[in-house]
Amino acid sequence: MVLHIATQLQLIMWRTLPAALISFLLLAPGMARAQESPLFVTYTHHLEEPGNLEIETTTTTGVPRSGQKFYFAPYMELEYGVTASWTSELYLESQSTWGDSSVFTGWRWENRYKPLQREHWINPVLYFEYENINEASRIQKEIVGGGPDLSSPNALLTAARARELEGRLILSSNYRDWNISENFIVEKNLSESEGVEFGYAFGISRPLGRLASATHCRFCRENFIAGVEMYGGLGSTLDFGMHGAAHYIAPAVSWMLTDNSSLRFSTGIGLTPESNPLLIRFGYSYEIQGLGGRISRLFGGRP
Amino acid sequence: MRRIALLCLCTAAAWAQNQAYQPDSNWRAPEQAASRANPLADRPDAAAGGRKLFVRHCAECHGADGTGVEKKRSADFHLPVVQEQSDGALYWKITNGNPGRGMPSFSRLPELQRWQLVLYIRTLKVH
Repeated sequence: MVLHIATQLQLIMWRTLPAALISFLLLAPGMARAQESPLFVTYTHHLEEPGNLEIETTTTTGVPRSGQKFYFAPYMELEYGVTASWTSELYLESQSTWGDSSVFTGWRWENRYKPLQREHWINPVLYFEYENINEASRIQKEIVGGGPDLSSPNALLTAARARELEGRLILSSNYRDWNISENFIVEKNLSESEGVEFGYAFGISRPLGRLASATHCRFCRENFIAGVEMYGGLGSTLDFGMHGAAHYIAPAVSWMLTDNSSLRFSTGIGLTPESNPLLIRFGYSYEIQGLGGRISRLFGGRP
Repeated sequence: MRRIALLCLCTAAAWAQNQAYQPDSNWRAPEQAASRANPLADRPDAAAGGRKLFVRHCAECHGADGTGVEKKRSADFHLPVVQEQSDGALYWKITNGNPGRGMPSFSRLPELQRWQLVLYIRTLKVH
């Protein structure tokens, strides 16, 4: 019954998504920033602007090796700028595996805090995340340990809950118009005794246009940011190292469609037998400016 | 009718304007940063791109006309207290932000785009 409802919901989503997307593009008001970093896994020190809410839908699609199955893992992200130094995000994620099933894989609550008030040569950001997911999760917002289980059936994976705490040290630098970022990832599964797992992500990106043109344009270079990132697992306290883990290198690009919406695309190339040969990510984000202020005004508060 | 509409518009603009803006005395650009010259100083045409960036990134807090918003304690760019600052100081403030007062950093923008914003802010000077 639950599976039937999930399938119906997916059908409705696929029928209405193109129309919703076109409406968004046409009706989007031009009053907000939406220049997104093209990197999906590597975080930079740039946080959400205070009071703004960004809604992003992203998919991670894994092209299989022999013995694996094709999968499609969509997730929705609500990112809110609480203050100029603190950004909070909620994720809802799911997964469909070819010839298997579609399942809801859980939620995550993520917080990023920038402790230093000024720009420095290296800008640290502290990242904390609580995950209430199951082992069928394949969005791969981070890869820790050996990476996700890509072979077992969903029925088996969804039964295994994973309540996890994730921490990252984000180090990010701007050099001229380049951004260079390094993320060191630590994760502890509170539901299992598998030690503490480690991962990494490094990325570099740059806008293609340096000067803003006087007029609004869709295809001019200033609307594009290109980058490349590398990410993977580093084992755990029980077996530390890069061996036996998934690793990817992923060229990526983001395109600012309107002042408040962006598209992002990346193709991750698997570097080890534990990786998918290709990991394709596609994201669309829409930003609502000053939402916090509007809600605050509704309740008679200061924006 | 037109006069009444214009009067209402001016009253609304004056009400929204942040004439009472008090700059944060702790938010000062270091001397070296303040002395930097705008590399686009000889390209006044680039200010038009700066206006587009201003509407996109700054208007929410500083108002579409740059007069500031009192409730947000944001700067009125027409005031001498802003216009007397050097190009380098304004660039430094756009780059670093002032998180304690709610002003985010705009270091994500390419350097030349931040200088374009400075160029545009200069056009708001009341002569």
